[in-house]
Amino acid sequence: MEAYLLNLGILISIYSILGVTLNFIMGYAGIYSLAHAVFFGVGAYAGTFMAMHYNASIFVTLPVAMAAGAFLSLILALPALRVRGEYFVAASLGLQVLAVTIFSEWKSVTGGIGGLIGIPPLDVAGFEVFKPSQFIFVTVGALIIILFIINRLVHSSFGRSLRAIRDSESAAAAFGKNVPLIKTISVVISSALTAVAGVLYASYLSFINVESFKLDTSVLIMAMVIIGGTGTQSGPIVGAALLLLLPSLISYMDFLPQTEIGSIQQIIYGLGMALLMIYRPGGIVGRKKQSETGKE
Amino acid sequence: MVASSADTQDVLMEIRNVDKAFGGVKAVDNVSMDLRAGIITTLVGPNGAGKTTLFNLITGELSKDSGSIKWLGNPINKIKPFQASRAGILRTFQDLRLFNEMSVEDNILTSVENNSVPIPLTKSQRTARREKVEHALNRAGLFSKRKVRAKDLAYAERKFLSMARVMATDARLWLLDEPASGLDPNSYEKFLEILRDEVKQGVTVCIIEHNLDIVIGISDRIAFLDRGKLLADGEPQSILDDPELRAIYFGERT
Repeated sequence: MEAYLLNLGILISIYSILGVTLNFIMGYAGIYSLAHAVFFGVGAYAGTFMAMHYNASIFVTLPVAMAAGAFLSLILALPALRVRGEYFVAASLGLQVLAVTIFSEWKSVTGGIGGLIGIPPLDVAGFEVFKPSQFIFVTVGALIIILFIINRLVHSSFGRSLRAIRDSESAAAAFGKNVPLIKTISVVISSALTAVAGVLYASYLSFINVESFKLDTSVLIMAMVIIGGTGTQSGPIVGAALLLLLPSLISYMDFLPQTEIGSIQQIIYGLGMALLMIYRPGGIVGRKKQSETGKE
Repeated sequence: MVASSADTQDVLMEIRNVDKAFGGVKAVDNVSMDLRAGIITTLVGPNGAGKTTLFNLITGELSKDSGSIKWLGNPINKIKPFQASRAGILRTFQDLRLFNEMSVEDNILTSVENNSVPIPLTKSQRTARREKVEHALNRAGLFSKRKVRAKDLAYAERKFLSMARVMATDARLWLLDEPASGLDPNSYEKFLEILRDEVKQGVTVCIIEHNLDIVIGISDRIAFLDRGKLLADGEPQSILDDPELRAIYFGERT
């Protein structure tokens, strides 16, 4: 039981990192990315590559993974952020599809469809972390640091610029905001931090393959953010916890027919999301109701 | 045209032979005019005369088909909106375009910040910034509403917030797109007072306005546009007394 809870805790904190980093661009800059799992994967593969071939120290794996995530996001952001919002969604979807192919085919780095096994444990300053009871401190610690960084950014002039761009791009530009540059920086920061989750995930499971980094994952992360509350601090964490706990909770309900548990779960998800969007469009921790004044 | 006191001011912006067509329609047709320092120039003309388009061409929101614009003597033909703002040219929008989900205070704060990357400010810079924001909040009568989200404000308050965003900056030229439309008499008295004060302190204003009472009340100079063409540019009284222009303005065109 304890191992089970620890495992859930670790996964929730890793997915919380994914949610928090996606929320940074989605909730504050209004950039909807369907490629978040790509940067999760790039972090995982880049970190693993370094750990298996060179050095497993997080002071090597994390910077390399972050740089890889940042670099790849730049390639996406530079052309895609010059155009209107909808195109970024389409471009990110394209990147997601392309990346899955590369993850499955670039065997020397990703191990192909079979993936990579025997990934070394995290090396934190010479100390090998592999026991879940220790690992959870690393993942929760990483989540706290990332929350801190994003919180600082959101409450700085940069965060205000992002929100201004989200609310009115033309007005933001009219008040001196270099819109494409600011959006690009936000995507690069988000992707670099997302890669951290990839490194932690890979070394925790000591096995990765392309299944974890597909479109389903990108959609799942987006659902976590929306359900928890887009543009709120704790929303993505609440969303991650809820969506990871729900399957376990459902499987504990003995009165449900065990053979149909999969479809019941889908029905609960779908219904829950539809109801939430009707009654609490701001998400669980979001604002209760959209204001009705000030419409033009 | 008789030379007036307005003609003796320095020219801040020089607009020469500017053209812009949308499809076959000439929205701005060979317009040349000067914006002079420290005065209020009002753009008048019927709907579709090209007034807002002219603003968009000045700030780089739209690109000109031909012609040139100089700002403080330097050509700004390829300028982008964020560069125009940083060069001291600020505009408001007819549909306001407030940062709706942000508080009143943050709307103003972000308007005075034009750094793309976060730069830590010194204490004195921070104090200076705070004072600017507070000054604008007070002038616009929004201090008590500073924590309210922009979208939750009443209509007149939203108009004043749109002005406050500009007021808090150090911009030399304000391009105001119908800032007083829809204001009740009390509010627009307040608006005129703010505008006159700011001009006294050295701001140059170009304003689009339909209400002739306001036009007469504030203009130092009037530019009359119709179907993209600048029909007249000069002293308010001479323009408003011109029967031909009046006929166009009141829709009595033959």
